[in-house]
Amino acid sequence: MTLAVDDAAWGSAWRRRAPGDKLLLSAGLVVCALLLPAWPGSLLVGLTAVVLALGPARVPARTFGRAVRWPLAFVAVGALTAVVTVDGGGLGWAPDAAARAGSLVGHALAGSAAVLLLATTTPMSDLLPALRRLRVPAAVIEVASVTYRLLFVLLDSLRTIREAQAARMGYSSLRRTYRSSGALAAAVLTRSWDRAGRLQEGLAGRGLETGLRVLPEALPSSRAFLAATVLGLGALVSATVVIA
Amino acid sequence: MHIAEGFLPASHAVGWTVAAAPFVVHGARAVVTEVREHPESTLLLGAAGAFTFVLSAIKLPSVTGSSSHPTGTGVGAILFRPPVMALLGTVVLLFQALLLAHGGLTTLGANAFAFAVVGPWAGYGAYRLTRAAGAGLLPAVFAGVALADLATYVTTSVQLALAFPDASTGFAGALAKFLGVFALTQIPLAIGEGLLGVLLFRVLTTNARPELERLGVLKPAGNAA
Repeated sequence: MTLAVDDAAWGSAWRRRAPGDKLLLSAGLVVCALLLPAWPGSLLVGLTAVVLALGPARVPARTFGRAVRWPLAFVAVGALTAVVTVDGGGLGWAPDAAARAGSLVGHALAGSAAVLLLATTTPMSDLLPALRRLRVPAAVIEVASVTYRLLFVLLDSLRTIREAQAARMGYSSLRRTYRSSGALAAAVLTRSWDRAGRLQEGLAGRGLETGLRVLPEALPSSRAFLAATVLGLGALVSATVVIA
Repeated sequence: MHIAEGFLPASHAVGWTVAAAPFVVHGARAVVTEVREHPESTLLLGAAGAFTFVLSAIKLPSVTGSSSHPTGTGVGAILFRPPVMALLGTVVLLFQALLLAHGGLTTLGANAFAFAVVGPWAGYGAYRLTRAAGAGLLPAVFAGVALADLATYVTTSVQLALAFPDASTGFAGALAKFLGVFALTQIPLAIGEGLLGVLLFRVLTTNARPELERLGVLKPAGNAA
């Protein structure tokens, strides 16, 4: 079983770019989305992230569109709740409801698009080693790397077991659904222990002593990309200040 | 449902990151010590993180007929303890943000505080108190898992109310609004996750008793701890 965003990251034209370079670009856009005024800052950040993802990074538009749809449910419900006011036992709109809702939705969608630019161009296995530069302990990165590698195996187990349960009428009523879901969770957990145990035995046979050492893939940083990032972010901030 | 990227003002995003940091760092230190002493634990801890991620992919029918996903942190807190869950929960949140577009990076601290700190600690506290009161394993699991789920969404409501106080009634009015939308609707789903936890542990006590004994959930003698 695969995840669409992860698939897009492995297939992206920016896959071979240094993860630190892409992290700088996305983090810059995220900070701009958070700090610049929604008009026109959020619009410019969102457009930049979408154009870069669908253009040079060649992320499939369908994948990007479907992924950005996920935060929409929270953003819509959260923004609506934030601009409804409770007064004297009745509900009404806050005085600046439309502007506040627009600002919230703008900031959130622009920020989500900026995070997705990183997510759809950088596989987790590239990003996690780059966290060493942020002084995240090696042991924590190793645990996260094992989590990343095992979750696809477990998702596959989850899908296979659920299909088998469904074929045996395991989800034909509410009671059966709960019973099957409990058995499904237990089966996935015991499989994860079994898988980890067998991996450990295999690695112990190969002399595992001090951590999971793998040959790092060399993805050199590009000065041109970094310069374009800094200039582009500067232009985005300047344009926002001038227009606002 | 996690707080989306860019939804919280910068000061709140930073504040919740600072609030969550000591718990996550404490969890990271516990993991580093464990891995240093037992390198093979890396694989078991990684498997625990992957299980928490996958558990949240199980669709749970609620009593009200809508459908949602378990948080998975209550089960994780009972099996692996809250300090470890503070780190594993944060790793899972990072993966959900970057693999599923659930949550975000600037809101990672706020989501970690609700999902990886308050939820597991509240759930583990309820589990231990219920056991101390003389209840069996399964009622304690129900209390722990259901409360972990509910506490996560109550915390999210508090975070949103602090960020967006009501125009006329301030924080209290905003809290009532957000609790009504995010926590009240979560009660049937929390009960559902509690039931799922009971069914999960009922299978585990039969099929994975040695693992539960190794994790300290059951006494090695064979009686429930």
